[in-house]
Amino acid sequence: MIAEITINSLVNFSPEILLFLMAMIILMAGIYKFSEKYVFHLAVFSIIFAFFLGFQNYSSESILIFNESIIKSEVTDLFKFLCYFLFLIQILVSRNYLKNKNLISGEFYSLLTFALIGCLIIISSNNLIVLFLGIELSSLSLYSLIALNRSSFLSSEAAVKYFVLSTIASGIILFGFSYLYGITGTLFIDDIAKFSLSNETSNLYLFSYVLIFIGVAFKFAVAPFHMWLPDVYEGAPLPVTNFIASIPKIAFFVLAYRFLYSNPIISDENFSSLLLLLGVFSILIGNLYALAQKKIMRMLAYSGVANAGFIFLAIFSAFANNFSIAAFYIITYSLATVSAISLITFISSRKFDLIYIKDFKGLSVKSGYISVLFMITLLSTAGIPLTVGFYAKYIILDALVNRDFIITAVIVVLFTVIGLYYYLRIIWFMFFEEDSNSLLNIKGKLSLLILTIIPAAILLMFLFPDILLDHIFRILT
Amino acid sequence: MEYILSLLIWSPILSGIFILFYKKDNFLLDLYNILINFVIFLFSLFLLFNYNNNIPDFQFIEKVRWIPSFNINYFLGVDSISILLILLNTIIFLIVALYNSTLLIKKRNQYYASFLIANGLTIGVFSALDAILFYIFFEALLIPMFLIIGIWGGLNRIYASIKFFIYTFLGSILLLISFLYINSSISSFSVDLFYKSSFSLEEQEWLFLAMAIAFAIKIPMFPFHTWLPDAHVEAPTSGSVVLAAILLKVGAYGFIRYVIPVVPLGAQSLDLYFIFLSLVAIVYVGIVAISQNDMKKLIAYSSISHMGFVTLGFFIIFQLFDNTESSKDLVISLSGSMYQIISHGFVSAALFICVGSIYDRFKTKKISDLSGLLNKMPIYSWFFVFFALANCGLPGTSSFVGELLIIISAFKANYIYAFLASTTLIISAVYSLWLVKRVIFGEIKVEMKECIDASFLEKILLFTMAIIVLILGFYPDFIVSFMNESLKVMSNNIILKI
Repeated sequence: MIAEITINSLVNFSPEILLFLMAMIILMAGIYKFSEKYVFHLAVFSIIFAFFLGFQNYSSESILIFNESIIKSEVTDLFKFLCYFLFLIQILVSRNYLKNKNLISGEFYSLLTFALIGCLIIISSNNLIVLFLGIELSSLSLYSLIALNRSSFLSSEAAVKYFVLSTIASGIILFGFSYLYGITGTLFIDDIAKFSLSNETSNLYLFSYVLIFIGVAFKFAVAPFHMWLPDVYEGAPLPVTNFIASIPKIAFFVLAYRFLYSNPIISDENFSSLLLLLGVFSILIGNLYALAQKKIMRMLAYSGVANAGFIFLAIFSAFANNFSIAAFYIITYSLATVSAISLITFISSRKFDLIYIKDFKGLSVKSGYISVLFMITLLSTAGIPLTVGFYAKYIILDALVNRDFIITAVIVVLFTVIGLYYYLRIIWFMFFEEDSNSLLNIKGKLSLLILTIIPAAILLMFLFPDILLDHIFRILT
Repeated sequence: MEYILSLLIWSPILSGIFILFYKKDNFLLDLYNILINFVIFLFSLFLLFNYNNNIPDFQFIEKVRWIPSFNINYFLGVDSISILLILLNTIIFLIVALYNSTLLIKKRNQYYASFLIANGLTIGVFSALDAILFYIFFEALLIPMFLIIGIWGGLNRIYASIKFFIYTFLGSILLLISFLYINSSISSFSVDLFYKSSFSLEEQEWLFLAMAIAFAIKIPMFPFHTWLPDAHVEAPTSGSVVLAAILLKVGAYGFIRYVIPVVPLGAQSLDLYFIFLSLVAIVYVGIVAISQNDMKKLIAYSSISHMGFVTLGFFIIFQLFDNTESSKDLVISLSGSMYQIISHGFVSAALFICVGSIYDRFKTKKISDLSGLLNKMPIYSWFFVFFALANCGLPGTSSFVGELLIIISAFKANYIYAFLASTTLIISAVYSLWLVKRVIFGEIKVEMKECIDASFLEKILLFTMAIIVLILGFYPDFIVSFMNESLKVMSNNIILKI
């Protein structure tokens, strides 16, 4: 194939290109020891500009660019906008933290932007090779970002662990790709779906899909492939954790969506029971292990495992190409997670690191406002009404009941009730205890304003879920 | 006043949020809180007087499409049962608001906000006609109660609040799955279509079990009752009042609105178990109440015992119908339960306020620490004795009417039920009178010499409630005939389906 790059392709890919250039510039600025202030503003500016460019090129039809290897549709745009938004919040709240921990540097922003670009490529790729490049770009940037805090033992341990396991996962995914290419003879994902619609599929085809989804399960940290997640959450600097917890998951959800969309494999009994088993097992493991955690980030990690299980269940229940359930879930979950980790980043951005759950004691005495924000976030993660997280869990249960998986629904629900305890424990520490730690940081009006955005959105989306739901239903079905 | 129900729900919630921003602790805060609760009480009176009892259907209906993608509507409406419960709710919250203004409370504005929000949410529970809307109010109600117990409660408050939350959440999530199941076959969540649904016997049994457990935990029925004594003991006085007078009634309301009319066949085939559990609650939990040394725990167990009457009244209707074949008896039994609900709302609230007053003076709730209050606090003691007698169902007080109606119906269903249920007259007399004997009469203890009688506000509050209890006791017809039409519709619905 001759590489034919048209203007159209460049225009439609301009946000990523811009981010790439800016990442280079930020890296240069870092090398020449520009003031941290400029680097930070450059990063913020580039993400806002990318958002603006994406908005300019927004169109309701889906197009293939760069020799059909990149796809741009409403789905990719929705998730890209979500990524930009979360990324913006992450870098805005992380500045003080990095400054006070002496971690701030040009590399941080440029590597984080590279990781973001990798995720954006995963979201929009239609070609197995490009997809793999996207996976590797984001993973490679994240390896070094996790080890950013070189003086910390935990940080290095987390980086090595993540490196080894993530490489294995990438290898498994690549292995699956190679089989898939061997069977179908094409690298384009939409052609793979067409192939499997028109041909009888073999067990080997199923095998390749299982391999790919085990890789996805690794990246999602679905049990039993979750071992790396608690260590990475604990070891990585909080802004990096914030990134890992949200944006790669969104990207890998879109990958799963692209591989399963209008593909008969989703209704294959063996494959769907794999998704179901992984999902239920993950909810079980995540909720039970989270109960026993003493450190807040490990607890959030296990809560992430449980939520990844829910995402797998949502993908499982996506019969008739209805991926809107899973999409809604991943949107609400990533919003809540980013809000939670951002709040923790903000609280521990002075002298004191908020590490243990008991450090939350008496937070409401120091700042009732932050406590309420954190409570809203936690309730949304737990799926309690008055927050949008309720609908996310609700539609999954609805789909399971509609498919006559009532026992599964009951099991899942019982484990959610068990899991409720660890969310309530934080609320009790914040509100019911009196003695508070005087070193917690609660100052910074602008940061507080930024931190309010997501909890406010969580409450508003509870009252008017249809705005988002209608959009998702329309574009994903 | 087309939007009176929305006004009733949202005005307390919004003013509760507003009050959070008023950080000063002065009389304006109290005044504002009392005023809001009073206005809501007036709204509910307006509802009562504008309700047309000749139309046996839901009234003041508001129906807005809320989430069309899941068939969820913002669907509100009331019949006479809901109106009585809303009225009970607004009166109790007004009393609580008045009572709270006399207390020393930390974070006063947050305390008031929690109660205002709980007030609005409870009205939402009683007026929602969409199952998911009901569920959302039902579940959201947990949050303010959780905070009230957890922040302002006693020493062991954290254990009690977490137990309360998780226990109730466990039940309600099974309720959600049942609603989803019903929706998957009739694709609607509105109650009137729920009533028209028809499921096979097996489906109805499962649905009944799942929903009944949710409400059995809330009411609470034996053996799901263990959270209640803990929650009551640890909650602040006003929290206990709301818990006993309102929250338990939410469970009872759930039974009568969402369980028995929706899956009557399932209820019919499993009714023996639930009658058995109700009788256990009446007899066994009553005996447990006798042995309590903590006054709040004693009243909590007596609440469970009284709620046993309510569920007994609900579940004997199937055997009643088999025996007498007339819908009239069903109405009598159900209105007995409803009467018991309302009566217990006032009596238990008053008793908790009495205990709260003792606690404020002596910092103890232990019966063994108290003695001879009559010598120092005659007026207070008078009220205490009055409500203790009302609690054991003295004729002339409201409790008597409800218990009498239920026992009469139980006789028609099966005389053994009636016999066992009647033992409550002895058991409740034992624990109530023995409590009075130990606390009110006898010699005063040395450390209790310094104490003052009921304050002016306490007198007013207790007097008002005593008057209400007496009016309900001497003139029950007002409420019974008011409920009559709605209960007739409901029992006809049930009869049609069994």
